[in-house]
Amino acid sequence: MSSGIGASVKRKEDKRFTTGKGKYTDDVRNDNQAYAAFVRSPHAHARVKGIDTSAAMAMDGVIDVLNGQQLTGDGIGNIICGWAITSKDGSPMNMGAWSALATEKVRYVGDAVAVVIAETQALARIAAEAVDVDYEELPVAASVLTSMKDGAPQIHENAPGNQIYDWELGDEAAADAGLASATHITSLDLTNNRLSPNPMEPRSAVAKYDDAEDHYTLYTTSQNPHVARLVLSAFYNVAPEHKLRVIAPDVGGGFGAKIYIYPEEITCLWASMKTNRSVKWTSDRSEAFITDAHGRDHVTSAKMGFDDAGKIVGFKVDTIANIGAYMSLFSSSVPTYLYAPLLSGQYNIQNIHCNVRTYYTNTVPVDAYRGAGRPEATYLVERMMETAAREMGMDPAELRRRNFIQEFPHQTPVLMQYDAGDFPKILEMAQETADVAGFPARRAEAEARGKLRGIGYSTFIEACGLAPSKAAGSLGAGVGLWESAEVRVNPVGSIEILTGSHSHGQGHETTFAQVVADRFGVPIENVQIVHGDTDKVQFGMGTYGSRSGPVGMSAVAKALDKVEAKVRKIAAHALEASEDDIVIEGGEVKVAGTDKSMAWHEVGLAAYIAHNLPEGMEPGLKESAFFDPVNFSFPSGAFICEVEVDPDTGTTEIVQFTSADDFGTIINPMIVEGQVHGGVTQGIGQALLEQVVYDEDGQLLNGSYMDYTMPRAADVPSFHVQHHETPSPNNPLGVKGCGEAGAIGSPPAVINAITDAIGTNDLAMPATPQAVWRAIQAGAKSVAAE
Amino acid sequence: MTSINMNVNGKAVSGDVPDETLLSEFLREHLRLTGTHIGCDTSQCGACVVHIDGKAVKSCSTLAVSLEGAEVTTIEGLANGDLHPMQVAFNDNHGLQCGFCTPGMIMSGVDMVKRYKAEGKDLTSDAIRAELEGNICRCTGYHNIVKSIEDAAAKM
Amino acid sequence: MDLTGEYRIAAPREVVWAALNDAEVLKACIPGCTELVKTSDTTMEAKVALKIGPVKAKFSGAVELQDIEAPQSYTIQGEGNGGVAGFAKGSADVLLTEDGEETILAFSSHAKVGGKLAQIGSRLINSTAKKLANKFFDSFHAQFNDEVPPD
Repeated sequence: MSSGIGASVKRKEDKRFTTGKGKYTDDVRNDNQAYAAFVRSPHAHARVKGIDTSAAMAMDGVIDVLNGQQLTGDGIGNIICGWAITSKDGSPMNMGAWSALATEKVRYVGDAVAVVIAETQALARIAAEAVDVDYEELPVAASVLTSMKDGAPQIHENAPGNQIYDWELGDEAAADAGLASATHITSLDLTNNRLSPNPMEPRSAVAKYDDAEDHYTLYTTSQNPHVARLVLSAFYNVAPEHKLRVIAPDVGGGFGAKIYIYPEEITCLWASMKTNRSVKWTSDRSEAFITDAHGRDHVTSAKMGFDDAGKIVGFKVDTIANIGAYMSLFSSSVPTYLYAPLLSGQYNIQNIHCNVRTYYTNTVPVDAYRGAGRPEATYLVERMMETAAREMGMDPAELRRRNFIQEFPHQTPVLMQYDAGDFPKILEMAQETADVAGFPARRAEAEARGKLRGIGYSTFIEACGLAPSKAAGSLGAGVGLWESAEVRVNPVGSIEILTGSHSHGQGHETTFAQVVADRFGVPIENVQIVHGDTDKVQFGMGTYGSRSGPVGMSAVAKALDKVEAKVRKIAAHALEASEDDIVIEGGEVKVAGTDKSMAWHEVGLAAYIAHNLPEGMEPGLKESAFFDPVNFSFPSGAFICEVEVDPDTGTTEIVQFTSADDFGTIINPMIVEGQVHGGVTQGIGQALLEQVVYDEDGQLLNGSYMDYTMPRAADVPSFHVQHHETPSPNNPLGVKGCGEAGAIGSPPAVINAITDAIGTNDLAMPATPQAVWRAIQAGAKSVAAE
Repeated sequence: MTSINMNVNGKAVSGDVPDETLLSEFLREHLRLTGTHIGCDTSQCGACVVHIDGKAVKSCSTLAVSLEGAEVTTIEGLANGDLHPMQVAFNDNHGLQCGFCTPGMIMSGVDMVKRYKAEGKDLTSDAIRAELEGNICRCTGYHNIVKSIEDAAAKM
Repeated sequence: MDLTGEYRIAAPREVVWAALNDAEVLKACIPGCTELVKTSDTTMEAKVALKIGPVKAKFSGAVELQDIEAPQSYTIQGEGNGGVAGFAKGSADVLLTEDGEETILAFSSHAKVGGKLAQIGSRLINSTAKKLANKFFDSFHAQFNDEVPPD
């Protein structure tokens, strides 16, 4: 069986995971290991009047208790947000100070004020309990609707009214004019519910300071170890970059939550230097709920106008986003540049305007969670399309079809130039597989059983493969978003690929190797992928935004081009042929039309022995490349969800879920389908089950798996996943990225299906049995009142 | 401190542990068998499932001192040399992504297949989904985990 | 959460009022109270052990009597710190009304929890608070009726 591009190669990395030999951060235990436990605020907003550590310090086995004054006193810098957003009046965003250990004020339940370092984890936790912090409680703004009100508690001094920025995209006058010309306007008020990412491996950090070398090593649960090293050195002054090695070993899922550099990693590094011990911290799940960045949490009001033919003539959006108590690393970009540019969806809309205001609240910081901004945009656009179709008495698929973009490239009025796609085709594929034609019969059959059956669509687009560095920079990003790769052909012909991408479930050790096997015809077993260690791998940007395929693999492809060019030269010289006649296939380097050839490993050996290289050629066979895309990639998809609702209990069962995705070129269909399954399930979680709940005092009310409803196996169906490939012209492989599609596209499909089943448009996520039951009752009441 | 003796993965082990030591902690910290994972602190996620005297148990809610003389099997000891059919099936069916929940999924999967076979019941995909109530996966959407367990059941 | 309740006590109002101000009586009635020491006429220091759902914590904190209108009403307010378990605070307005030789005790209480107690145990707080308030007033009631307070 082929192991090249397009083959469902079984994963090379699985053996260590299925045998319990995976090496995760918490599995690391150094000599002289000590353990950290954080003292966290139980108050959402309070002044820290004093910290009494005497009782903790007196305990046997306690090495030290450290606080924020000591941390800032040692010059450790504040945590930053790396994407600058400018308000529409030209003023910069109001970023409040965030110290890894709070000094004067705590701003959310879970804000760390001190850390105990002790000989065992149990001792550290017991001692943390003995640290007595004197708090003066302050009034709390636990939701964005509270914090934006006049007279709301001031969370950061430099953010008057708690506002971070008031930003816009698009042409407001044009959108207004479009709406004025409309013959039908659909209005929607939506909340995109707040979620906790919950990768199954809790975050962990093991920091070790070597005083002889003045050098630090950090094992950490990171999606992007190089970015962590850069930020830890350049902004937080923990250690100079060349004196800090960051290793992200096996990482148990990320979904965005492991992009950011959190207070705990900073503190562990600093504490290892203070105590001259290796310091380890591993979050428990309770701690994860109050420290891992949350996602979503938007409140939106929008209007979409249509003409007589059902064509969209104007779209106006007003969104309020909750940033939490502090600005996390990419928090500012999520409700702006990862959101508003996607409001055109798959549709040809000429007039769009979006206004976004963001506010601080006394809650955990909010940042990117799988999809990041794009699920919020998609939920709005696709709920809008379905609702409008119902209001206008049109088939929702037909309304979408009338508005589909048909020609590419397509420039939207909100920054994006879509690369390639075939939207009618994927909708047709999904409709066929979902047997939409047979739906009325299935609905009637369900009705006979006393069940309400509904069908819902979501036809969506993403901007993935983050991102062209120049474009990102012009929009405020503090970093470039290219990726790097190095290809090392060893003297025996085996190949090592060093990539700046990081795999935490995506299967890069297999898919990246497929790209190499495809190019040179070498066995996939002879290709090793190296990632996640700043001492081994050149600087890279890491994995998020479905970028490892379109950007990371493209960097590998570019480096392979250079290797190939050198191989041709070496072989042509050795075989006394023209470079142009050299063909590389099946692990052999041949001269076309002759029987002259060299085995792949012979070329490798020749490069290193260097006895017979072309005049002036350097020995060795190792090339590197940086790939900076010219544009985002634009995966698209059509999802169809079919549900049955029990009208007596409000319980929803997803009876069928169909997807037709266009991810461009697919390297490994098995892995891509797995990504869709997982993403769709997270979207179903958002639609039906999950929501982070705070009370008005800023107390988190569902911070464990007893109360925060993670999707279980019985909550989701088996999925029908299929693909249509229109390769992206923006990278050498034509790959578009597949990591986020499921989470982006599925929530509106689910809610559209339920609202279709129960006959009302008014239903918020998560559509719990109680919420659905209430919506059914409210619908019945409003019908009775008419 | 209590002195305990048990058999883990076919080997006699002993240790002096504080009474509150959980089996998960004993396995990970004392025996350094780190394949048993801790994904939550309320005994919901199932990443820590091991077999005690042949039955699947969450090691995070079992005290080590309660297991005097017990036979414990962890993911590291599931197979002798070759892979167990359940381990093969997870690879064949792409039943794992990040791998963190996988040891618990595999240990639960083996247990449910054995139980259903012993009781002569049919392990349908619906039954597998219901049986997985105590195992949470955030990556796979369960689709391929269910397929993996079905596949292994046919081969065990 | 807010709770209200009413008890009829077979004792004159002055007697009930005196009991409401007696640290020993309060200690016997507050569920889980292991220590209650008067620090002034209106303030006390208390140690209370409580279990809410899966969270078990020892609280140490202060109790204060406010808005005292002897022998008719006061507000009893408590605030306790349970370490990593978080905090609990609450207050109850207590009103005594004479009814012949008997007294009607009416209360209206308000309680709040924070930190891990809220995070893990919030769905149990209402029922727990209700149970605790009932336990307190049942025990208090029993002081006058020579009954063994129900568990």
